[in-house]
Amino acid sequence: MTKETLIRILPFQANSASGSRSVIVFCGLCVLLPALCFISFGVGAVKITPFEVLAILFQKQGSFDSQQETLLFAIRLPRVLLGVLVGAGLAVSGATMQGLFRNPLADPGLIGISTGCALSAAVWIVFGETVSFKLAPLLKTFSLSLVAFPGGLLATLIVYRLGQREGRTDVPTMLLAGVAVSALNISLMGILSFISTDAQLRNITFWTLGSLGGATWTMLIVTAPFILIPVIWLPKLARSLNAILLGEAEAEHLGVNTENLKRKCVVLTTMAIGASVASAGMIGFVGLVVPHLLRLLIGADHRVLLPCSALLGASLLLMADLSSRTIVAPAELPVGSITTLIGVPFFLWLLISRKS
Amino acid sequence: MKLLLLKKISLIFLASLTLFFVSACRRQASSNSISKYVSVVDSDGKEVAITDSSRVVSISGSVTETVYALSAESKLVGTDTSSIYPEAATKLPQVGYMRQLSAEGVLSLKPTLVLATKDAGPPAVIEQLKSSGVTVLILPSETNPEGARKKIKLTAQALGVEAKGDELIKKLDEQIKETNSKIETAKSKPRVMFVYARGGGAPNVSGTKTAADEMIRLAGGVNAVTEYENYKPLTPEAAVTAAPDFILLPKLVFDSVGGTDGVLKMPGIALTPAGKNRRIIAIDDLLLLGFGPRTGEGIKELAKLLHPEQF
Amino acid sequence: MLEVKNITVKAGNKTLLDNASLKTEAGEVVAIVGANGAGKSTLLKAVCGDIKRTQGDVFINNKYLEDWDRCKLARVRAVLPQSSVLSFPFTVFEVALLGRNPHIRGRETKRDCDIAHEALCATEADHLTERFYPTLSGGEQQRTQLARVLAQIWEKPESSERLLLLDEPTSSLDLAHQHATLSLARKFANEGVGVLTVLHDLNLASQYADRVVMLKRGHLICEGSPRKVFNSETIREVFSIDSVVMEHPTLPCPLVIPAVVRNVNNNGNLQLAVGVVS
Repeated sequence: MTKETLIRILPFQANSASGSRSVIVFCGLCVLLPALCFISFGVGAVKITPFEVLAILFQKQGSFDSQQETLLFAIRLPRVLLGVLVGAGLAVSGATMQGLFRNPLADPGLIGISTGCALSAAVWIVFGETVSFKLAPLLKTFSLSLVAFPGGLLATLIVYRLGQREGRTDVPTMLLAGVAVSALNISLMGILSFISTDAQLRNITFWTLGSLGGATWTMLIVTAPFILIPVIWLPKLARSLNAILLGEAEAEHLGVNTENLKRKCVVLTTMAIGASVASAGMIGFVGLVVPHLLRLLIGADHRVLLPCSALLGASLLLMADLSSRTIVAPAELPVGSITTLIGVPFFLWLLISRKS
Repeated sequence: MKLLLLKKISLIFLASLTLFFVSACRRQASSNSISKYVSVVDSDGKEVAITDSSRVVSISGSVTETVYALSAESKLVGTDTSSIYPEAATKLPQVGYMRQLSAEGVLSLKPTLVLATKDAGPPAVIEQLKSSGVTVLILPSETNPEGARKKIKLTAQALGVEAKGDELIKKLDEQIKETNSKIETAKSKPRVMFVYARGGGAPNVSGTKTAADEMIRLAGGVNAVTEYENYKPLTPEAAVTAAPDFILLPKLVFDSVGGTDGVLKMPGIALTPAGKNRRIIAIDDLLLLGFGPRTGEGIKELAKLLHPEQF
Repeated sequence: MLEVKNITVKAGNKTLLDNASLKTEAGEVVAIVGANGAGKSTLLKAVCGDIKRTQGDVFINNKYLEDWDRCKLARVRAVLPQSSVLSFPFTVFEVALLGRNPHIRGRETKRDCDIAHEALCATEADHLTERFYPTLSGGEQQRTQLARVLAQIWEKPESSERLLLLDEPTSSLDLAHQHATLSLARKFANEGVGVLTVLHDLNLASQYADRVVMLKRGHLICEGSPRKVFNSETIREVFSIDSVVMEHPTLPCPLVIPAVVRNVNNNGNLQLAVGVVS
């Protein structure tokens, strides 16, 4: 691939020092993610060698057994794809939120969506047992996700409305409203924990810890649009996001409709995070750490930051999921705990290095 | 060039993977031609056809215990973390906590049959197991002797050892009958309060409709707390109002809080008749609450502690 | 090309700006001066539309401000803010290139990059191109922002005059760069751009502005050429200090020399001397 072709297809100028670094990182991630996917297909409690993986994918009969084939198609493939989607969705949303709040330490959960989903899930776990699913038994399997998503949307809607002042979205007010709503959600969850049975409490706890284990093709097909649309659309807003980093008034002077931009960003990130949390539970720090790490490497230009965040977020989550499936095989660690284990020391290091 | 090339690539990636899946779907789920199979009605009333019970994964302590009691442990290839009796069960490969199973973990043991209760989860994983061709049998888990009988009977049916199953049920009934005859003549029914601490956290007290409540009744006692169902945190006022003659705990909890002295330190306990007389009793968790094959033994042990003069 | 008619800005009970009017023609530099809190930035922000006017109208190129399409306006009007909040690791070049946003469809062209470079050269910030913006000094940041703002209106569009609004463009700059910046503004004015700038330094206003507007406590006190506006009486009225105004020894403009004397009184405290109107 010649340099001219590369420059033509990339969404940014690559002729400066930082530009060429961006190209290297972008291409590196484009190679890393498929490689991780391929490794994830083979690694786990049931061993499938790379050769067998290829044989199954290309249906070369005789080189694999049917159990491996079933495992790959019914369990590993949806799981890996869900990991890619959720990782990408969380990272892109994190980068967008950090731009919108003009704070590199902002977390997508700040607008109340994660705790809103968690609260709805907890409510459903405690009170939803009595609901009968005789008519649609398949619905019961996904009932938790189906309930969690609108709950998160409702929380964000409240936060967004609270952040409106004189018809305009006031970002600092929205931030405070998000903190307040999240605190409320958490305290309500505390009350639910009190009235729940032992079994229900365990279920709530495990759900909030996060896991990609429940991935099935049906869930993937339902979740995919809610994450793919933001992941594809948000990078289109990249230039406006760059402008808004200068300040809202400055962005307006540069011709950006900031009200429109804020609304789009909130809606799209809410979709992505709501769908991610509803399908995989709370997975923390991906949205915070990935964009931050990338900014250290390639700068703050959202046109390259957002696509790279998607790739790196997906890769990171796949790596965490690989660890969760192998460390205590055949049991599994919750993937949310692993991302937090990696994320917290990194976050602390970031804070300390910012001070100096 | 409105669309980033990356997005095109990933869309193609996804599309091709979907194509692979579609082609995989067109395969029929391979069905071994079975000449005979066992048809069992599970706890939801559905018929489940068990064709092969040579490799069994059992989820839940009482289910595993039942398999061992039926002398069918040779078929076991894996259990969950709550299967702690008999000790041999803990040496088997563990597939995780029963409410948070890993489909892959279970499948890696190449099971043909999974025996579980309705507590096994998450539901998506159970679906994944079923769609991978593994037979999943959900056993009843009512917390009363009838539930225990059903559990033993169905497990025995599924594993093809019905005779042994009937034998176990007969033994269970005899044990319960024997204990009953001894405590029938007891002068009074002592008040018992069952205390449970979730992993060393705040202590909770059992109300009605729990396994503990049932066991207390079967052993000739009376639950000191009947104002609510399920568990609520222990408060000093509640303890004093309940005025139990005995405090009953699962053995693991009893040990973890520091024995009798530890229990007496709990809020309000020292002011109860049980506390003043140091009548703190503990029984092995699974034996007491499992409602499996050793239910008769469990009732007898509790009855002995509540009515020592009758034995 | 900029016309401001009778604008009043109130915040609650406080009147920040009362009935101010001014005009800026293409090719002239108009300076707004006044003491702290006089309403200079308020006036500029009201002209931009950043704050709501309680009363009054703003016209740019004979079109009502609110009727302008945001993007079209951004191609003819650039605003330099008083301070910048940018804390993200953009390079200086990237910041300058942001100024080309209103002109870019899809991806920036080579021409856009060249303009950004030229703008950085004009503000003498071209040696900082690959540096990260948050690591710069205040003055360097201000020059970068100025480059961005100039890049925004570098080329004249077909049917419109351009407008440049500067809110205290020299606050962090050293003496040489203060003059360099205003020379640049003057140069743009000579190309037909209308420049409206808030200045603190009266002598800079005197040297570079065609007209000066003086504000005191939200009111427009006077307006006109520097020679007409800068005299001891007006300065005493607006700034409450004594001064001497004379002809600049080498340049064709007035020179304002403050003549404030400070004494230490009997108690050992500093006080302003006799002759000061408080």
